[in-house]
Amino acid sequence: MLRIATQKCCDQLPSRFLPFLSTKSGAAVATRRHQSTDDKVEVFVNDKPVYVKPGSTVLQACEIAGIQIPRFCYHDRLSVAGNCRMCLVEIEKSPKPQASCAMPVMKGMRIKPDSDVSKKAREGVMEFLLANHPLDCPICDQGGECDLQDQSMMFGSDRSRFLEHKRAVEDKNIGPLIKTIMTRCIQCTRCVRFADEVAGVSDLGTTGRGNDMQIGTYVEKMFKSEMSGNVIDICPVGALTSKPYAFTARPWETRKTETVDVMDAVGSNIVVSTRAGDVLRIIPRLHEDINEEWISDKTRFAYDGLKRQRLTQPMLRNKQGQLVTCLWEDALPFVAEKLSTTEGSKVAGIVGGFADAESLICLKDLLNHVDSEGLCTEELFITDGAGTDLRSNYLLNTTIAGVEEADLVLLIGTNPRFEAPLFNARLRKSWIHNELEVALVGSKVDLTYSYEHLGDSTTTLKQIADGTHPFSKRLKDAKNPMVVVGSEVFSREDAFGVHAAVSAIAQNATVTSQTNRGDGGADWKVLNILHKVASQVAALDLGYKPGVDHIRKNPPSLLFILGADGGAVTREDLPKDCCVVYIGSHGDVSAPFADVILPGAAYTEKPGTYVNTEGRAQQTQAAVSPPGSAREDWKIIRALSEISGMTLPYDDLEGVRSRMSEVSPNLTRYDAVESANYFKQAAELAKLAKPQLVSKPLQSSQLSLADFYMTDSISRASKTMAKCVKAANEGLTPDL
Amino acid sequence: MSTAGRISQVMKGVPMKPVMSANPVEARRRVLTLYKQWYRATPKIIEKFQLPYTVEKVHNRIREEFMKNSHVRDVRAIDLLVIKGQMDLQETIKMWKQPCHIKSYFHQETAVEVPTDFLGKFFTQKH
Repeated sequence: MLRIATQKCCDQLPSRFLPFLSTKSGAAVATRRHQSTDDKVEVFVNDKPVYVKPGSTVLQACEIAGIQIPRFCYHDRLSVAGNCRMCLVEIEKSPKPQASCAMPVMKGMRIKPDSDVSKKAREGVMEFLLANHPLDCPICDQGGECDLQDQSMMFGSDRSRFLEHKRAVEDKNIGPLIKTIMTRCIQCTRCVRFADEVAGVSDLGTTGRGNDMQIGTYVEKMFKSEMSGNVIDICPVGALTSKPYAFTARPWETRKTETVDVMDAVGSNIVVSTRAGDVLRIIPRLHEDINEEWISDKTRFAYDGLKRQRLTQPMLRNKQGQLVTCLWEDALPFVAEKLSTTEGSKVAGIVGGFADAESLICLKDLLNHVDSEGLCTEELFITDGAGTDLRSNYLLNTTIAGVEEADLVLLIGTNPRFEAPLFNARLRKSWIHNELEVALVGSKVDLTYSYEHLGDSTTTLKQIADGTHPFSKRLKDAKNPMVVVGSEVFSREDAFGVHAAVSAIAQNATVTSQTNRGDGGADWKVLNILHKVASQVAALDLGYKPGVDHIRKNPPSLLFILGADGGAVTREDLPKDCCVVYIGSHGDVSAPFADVILPGAAYTEKPGTYVNTEGRAQQTQAAVSPPGSAREDWKIIRALSEISGMTLPYDDLEGVRSRMSEVSPNLTRYDAVESANYFKQAAELAKLAKPQLVSKPLQSSQLSLADFYMTDSISRASKTMAKCVKAANEGLTPDL
Repeated sequence: MSTAGRISQVMKGVPMKPVMSANPVEARRRVLTLYKQWYRATPKIIEKFQLPYTVEKVHNRIREEFMKNSHVRDVRAIDLLVIKGQMDLQETIKMWKQPCHIKSYFHQETAVEVPTDFLGKFFTQKH
């Protein structure tokens, strides 16, 4: 079980096999061999030679040799603590077994992870850990996925010598998300290190020494982080568990669906656990280029919003002006009749942040069929200059993983900590490990790392673009600069001005950074747009107009709202006789003024395509079925098209997706970042359109943690998120 | 080489072990025997199961079932089908089957037709 022979590190192979590879030129082989072993250290694991990088640990060397050392405190993405002692191994010529996670390799070291001494050491450590660990596995939420449980089975003693009393620790209340049972804690300090290093919130710490050591916040307060839920995953025992998931299910009872999150534009990879058609919890799935192994609290805990406030039946407004439930057979012909009798120019559609690319293409094809061009996204963007014609104008071009190569980041009008927590976590990671420098033009907010605040005025932006601001010098000297502008600036009246200034800054920086790196035209992209909603990039790729200006200027008689609940259009904006058709899963803002409601599926209930802010297409999978008579959104539009006699030429998912790739091929190249170009041309086009800046300060609407939790129709329906807002605003109240 | 190719090479020249019949003529005789047995049993089946059908209708239905496999040319496959048919006949005559099993061979007025077109599926099914 422990030996994973297939996990052999590839880079050790050449040096080992090179002597046998070539007989032609012995000299060449010798030099190459010399080079490849030069930067590697030879160590022996169970007398088997392994080549590892100098400075790596004994534990990593064993991993390369295919032997997994048991551990509790060691975690790949956290600093090394070396306090659990579970990873003790025998090393030849060392008097005592060594903690392999903290021990660097030395040349010719002979490691014996399977020796009797190593086994005895593990057994001893296990016995000490279990001395104070309660025997409450049957009522513990970690049961079945507990490291302590697994490792005590593998390495522990088969009988107990324990006769004394167990230590007990008082439970801490650290907020509505994390349940603590501190008696179970084995003081691995993973949570403390996570809070310090990844989340950047030093709320957790240790108090006391030896047997009295405790993990906690010292005074009772909330663990105030937008990524706090991740401590549940990294806790190797059941000390930190999920409060909303408490006593719900065992891991072996649930069905796991690997899917993608849509609560922000990052597109974190997630696993949805379900049982009997019920979403029980959401946990992260590893994706090195997007979310690593973390997810934000909104992604993790907003799932209870999928069960509340749902639209489950089609509805029609009756003569008394009340919405009453009806059948699909009643609702669809009603809309079809309106659609075929309304003039094309009087038909329009607005799409919201949760719309998948499948429903976007169906709605676009249907409305284009009746000669309507009124297809708008609720989220705003610019239309002047190159607008959405050049894809590079609206993507996070550097990519999220690209942050790790950057040396200077300029954030403009954004608060990435709450708009895209995982992107912010990357910035913080780079700030810690690569000495990334960050500057911000916008509201002064806590980003969990230090940054230079350049004020919030547009004049600063103009000065940086002109090169008159002191910061321009630093931007000029940077090798891999990034300019990140938040999508919120596009709701300003001078959105185009800001975008033009930003692209000018980025274009200048692109040129200077090329010279600084000395690599001419290497592929480093500077301009980045950080979107807030999951559907925006796909909608722009498909040719939707950003913003609802078109609808305000051309009042429609028939308006389709595809899950748009941001309140961009209200009943007052529309003519009296306008028929509003709402298609969506929740409809908390827009559905009340609709005349027809067609219930759609949420992101856990349909296979759908979403493109994240980098331009990476990913698909969600159906974990459960839609509630009541709700249907997948694209099918609703397809059925409507058939009833109104304008049948769309596809009727299955493959058909829709091949149509999507006709319009924009990147939409079906899953998990590939389709990069964009023509920055220079975009910047020049922007100049031609004469951008203007107004003096209004660049501000962010999400300033504190309380603003983070409830931002869309799903999280607004979530009870857990409501509790979080309350706790963040008013402090903790004793719950249960 | 494909798996199928490899098998045919191995099998080349090795005579296949017959299930019952040594050649197609023998297999055909067995099929006809089974067919006649079904035909002769028909009045009895109608009586026992109180089927609301004429002998002729049941005969036609039996012929249809036989004709479903008329394309089978492999002697071993035919033999297996004959064995299955004999088992089926025995289960029928000895009343090991229930009336519903017999009736399911004939069109049922109460059966709900599952829609196959997009709209029909949209109105009735979630997926």
